[in-house]
Amino acid sequence: MKRRVIGIVDYGAGNHNSVFSTLSSLDYRCHISHDVSALEKVDCLVLPGVGAFPRAMAGLKTFKLVDFLSDWALQGQPMLGICLGMQLLAERSHEDGLTPGLKIIPGEVLPLKDPRWHIGWNSLLRMHRDPLLEIDELSHFYFNHAYAFSEEKDFQVYQADCGKRFPAIIRRGSVVGLQFHPEKSQTAGRKLLKQIIDGLCHA
Amino acid sequence: MLKKRLIGVITVRDGLAVQSIGYKRYLPLGKPEYLAENLDRWGADEILVMSIDRTVRGLGPDLGLLKRLGKVGIRTPLIVAGGISSKDNAIEVVHSGADRICIDALLQDNPEEVRAIAECLGSQAVIASLPVSAGTASYMWWDYRSKALRHLATEVCALLEDGVVSEVLLVDWQHEGIHAGFDQRLIERFPIPNVPLIAFGGVSHHEQIEQLLNKESVSAVAIGNFLSYREHAIQHFKMQLQESHLRGAVFAGSDARV
Repeated sequence: MKRRVIGIVDYGAGNHNSVFSTLSSLDYRCHISHDVSALEKVDCLVLPGVGAFPRAMAGLKTFKLVDFLSDWALQGQPMLGICLGMQLLAERSHEDGLTPGLKIIPGEVLPLKDPRWHIGWNSLLRMHRDPLLEIDELSHFYFNHAYAFSEEKDFQVYQADCGKRFPAIIRRGSVVGLQFHPEKSQTAGRKLLKQIIDGLCHA
Repeated sequence: MLKKRLIGVITVRDGLAVQSIGYKRYLPLGKPEYLAENLDRWGADEILVMSIDRTVRGLGPDLGLLKRLGKVGIRTPLIVAGGISSKDNAIEVVHSGADRICIDALLQDNPEEVRAIAECLGSQAVIASLPVSAGTASYMWWDYRSKALRHLATEVCALLEDGVVSEVLLVDWQHEGIHAGFDQRLIERFPIPNVPLIAFGGVSHHEQIEQLLNKESVSAVAIGNFLSYREHAIQHFKMQLQESHLRGAVFAGSDARV
């Protein structure tokens, strides 16, 4: 069987080595690149991210990836955003001022405030059934963030609770966003990554 | 609900994992990547790799070690400490596979650079390491470079109050490596409110872990030496702490939980 090819988008703000290592161990062929001509040939794009939203968007602009990623999603091609990569899918973020996002999933990114951070392992609360995103309710995933996606529940598949509830998994068609780090969530994260990528590529 | 964490600590000196006792005696344990592989397999909630000689020797962060850890394929969140003296260092460390960084000397040397790091990586990625002692009179910070006790600097307190760092690794340096040695007064007397604390140094027993995790300000307990004495030490602790605040024991290669 042909191995699926994953394009890990490198825009200077990613923890792409960890994502590369985990996806490679799941038997995907992975390329880390900021080159559109390389990324447009893959089966699924993964948008990782660690750090601040404005700097990440600036990186995407530098490599002329903003329109490419928006068009990719508009054409219904598979894409997975992880942590900051999920937040970049939003219309805008309030982190360090107001910064426009990729505008792929309606909503905005707001500070958590109380508590100021959400760090550690948390379980997920299902908002609606999605065969692509069936998760054992005992599973825990690793979160590490101070800002969170905010939207009208149209695209939320799971929420997490850190004293306040926020979207943990969002999906709009072939685009999925995960606020946690599946690549650092041990067995549960690996299982979910495989499920999402195979599901999106097969759909 | 969000769980508290059990963090496995690997202390590295001269490139080798060591058992550290009271910040002065070091016994070799082996290659750090082998210890990291074990902690990953045992389901640690985070792994802290702390290279204790990088700053003193002016070597910068150990990117070679991070590369080797990357080859092992660690699936557990990784915190890296040691040799980080600038924003560029911090970015390099995160790009090399760290999820979070832990800072000690830079807190004292250049608090403004710590603010720059937090602006770039987000404060959730930044931990302050404070070796401290409760003493008889007041709360003292141990400067391991000059080997002197000092009061916590105002600038450091400001970093914590302003939320520039997300957690404090509270190190009981005097009781490090001593069975059940952690001085719980360090938690009770911590001078700045609402700062999540990671208790480290002389944590060896499940009842002691339970007591620490029952404290509201403690977000995690970190254990170094006492994970090296038996196989599956993380799972053993977690199985003894079933009613605690921790995520259950996880066994690699399966989705089983206890």
